[in-house]
Amino acid sequence: MRRLPWARTVFWLYAATLMLPLLWMFGMSIRPNADILGAFSLVPQRVTLENYETFFTDSTWYSSYLNSIVYTSMNTVMSLVVALPAAYAFSRFRFAGDKHLFFWLLTNRMAPPAVFLLPFFQIYQSVGLFDTHLGVALAHMLFNVPLAVWILEGFMSGIPREIDETAAIDGYSLPGFFFRIFLPMIRSAIGVTAFFCFMFSWVELLIARTITSVDAKPIAATMTRTVSAAGVDWGLLAAAGVMTIIPGAILIWFVRNYIAKGFALGRV
Amino acid sequence: MSDGRQKHNRAWWLVLPVVVSVAFTAIIPLMTVVNYSVQDIFSPFDRIFVGLDWFRDVARDPEVRGALVRTLIFSAQVLLIEIPLGVLIAVCMPRRGWTVSVALVLVALPLLIPWNVVGTIWQIFARGDIGLGGWAVNKVVNFNYTLDSADAWITVLAMDVWHWTPLVVLLAYAGLRSIPDPYFQAAQIDGASAWATFRHIQLPRLRGVLTIAILLRFMDSFMIYTEPFVVTGGGPGNATSFLSILLSKIAVGQFDLGPAGAFSLLYFLIVQIVCYVFFTVLTRSGR
Amino acid sequence: MFDWMLWTTPTALVFAGIAALLLIMGVWARLSPPIARRGFLRIETDRGDRLYIGLISAAAFLVLWIAVTDLSMLLALGGALVLIVVIGRWG
Repeated sequence: MRRLPWARTVFWLYAATLMLPLLWMFGMSIRPNADILGAFSLVPQRVTLENYETFFTDSTWYSSYLNSIVYTSMNTVMSLVVALPAAYAFSRFRFAGDKHLFFWLLTNRMAPPAVFLLPFFQIYQSVGLFDTHLGVALAHMLFNVPLAVWILEGFMSGIPREIDETAAIDGYSLPGFFFRIFLPMIRSAIGVTAFFCFMFSWVELLIARTITSVDAKPIAATMTRTVSAAGVDWGLLAAAGVMTIIPGAILIWFVRNYIAKGFALGRV
Repeated sequence: MSDGRQKHNRAWWLVLPVVVSVAFTAIIPLMTVVNYSVQDIFSPFDRIFVGLDWFRDVARDPEVRGALVRTLIFSAQVLLIEIPLGVLIAVCMPRRGWTVSVALVLVALPLLIPWNVVGTIWQIFARGDIGLGGWAVNKVVNFNYTLDSADAWITVLAMDVWHWTPLVVLLAYAGLRSIPDPYFQAAQIDGASAWATFRHIQLPRLRGVLTIAILLRFMDSFMIYTEPFVVTGGGPGNATSFLSILLSKIAVGQFDLGPAGAFSLLYFLIVQIVCYVFFTVLTRSGR
Repeated sequence: MFDWMLWTTPTALVFAGIAALLLIMGVWARLSPPIARRGFLRIETDRGDRLYIGLISAAAFLVLWIAVTDLSMLLALGGALVLIVVIGRWG
């Protein structure tokens, strides 16, 4: 097809601009703090790994990083387990109130987390889930279950219904068909959905910070509470920032062709 | 949800886990918020029913109205900048070869960064003393986002454009890829200019994805919290104090259960209305 | 177990009302399945949709009322009920 002559230039310029703040943070993370606050320089004068060393040796940092990984993983598994049968039901059957239920799920994905802060705080304290990984994982199901249902439904609707009918004629029961034929067919969709559940749980701060204090404190909360009497430790903060980007940056390659679909709730 | 589905009420058993889990995380909290919103609560044992007083207070509170207006202006600016920019970049994106994958990964990267880290990145980047962006702007005009309201607003807006334009790019790109090649070949034979091709072939075909992009960007910018919280904390003064920031200040900071409950419900009502429009558009464009 | 939810009689009644409404709509759907049609809202709706739209519009109407006037809420409530009926019947 016809391309504008300057299209390539425009795009790569944009991509470079996009990377600039990221590279700058990376640059900060490998400078000693004295250099950061000293004279401004474009390129690090001295390269050091001491910020990363602090990150991996100070238990408040690495343990909160692990906390985040634990509760996001739990949340991903839990969200997928409840969402898979529901998405199948929405894509294959008509039942009383299906449309309204589907809409209600969407409102939970769209609701501002701030609305749920106070009751979450109270509920999790009264049922003893405050400051536990399970508590955060459950709380994040608020937006991740709807997300997973919507994305999976988008993928499942693309699979012809004849496959279900053929399997039924071949004598498969619904659970037998679902586990032995259907799930293997949509495994890439499950992978993509898992990625998005993991990601949206990983990037969330407000709820996770409100219902934890010490034992399950997420890395995001640790990062926003670093301002000490001595001021902000920019180098360490930047190093922690780089560390939190790594999981997404590794996984993104595998889902690159489905990113748009995932962000658009499976509707592209 | 496509039509031609089987009628099958036992399918309810399949959605039951979802209903139960989301009821625990959404319905019970929402009921609690409703209970808070009609009482003046000193302690669980010392509380008075006050009817709709909190709703009246919150609906007439100039601070809340200010935050609502700011949030709406912010959402409008976000849409006005990100949608055209996103479409432009999507049109310019490579279509073939190995650069496609690289381009997709690069563009998607900001979307996968934790929201508070997006805040941290810009907190560093926009500072005049240690950040490249702030340092460069300072060469031209005086810029300090911690002291000047306009600078703080621009920083938050620039951050959102940086963070979320990629979403529009990805959606528009997915839309463009779904246009069959013969359309372009026909346009080429007719000798159509690049602009005419865009205006009459590409843009009409993008209507569906752009609607999704607009609605998603509206909803997410309407509930923005983490990024401005990290960069400006709502300040200076209340220059960047959006609805979510104000609400969580009242709820968690001051622990005013009644007003926070009423505020939450009004906020939730607006979201419900927009969400219904969103849903109607989504389910109808699918047919 | 639900003490921390800080129930009051009026809110309990409201939620009981909503539950009853859902139940009635469910039973009604079983007795005579809803038919989607177009009214003055210009989009295809069945009665569940219209009930939802009606309730949401009524809530928005009440909020606007409380935000701008000091007139009695009973008047507003009357207006809201009319709104629900109009949308439900002709929407």
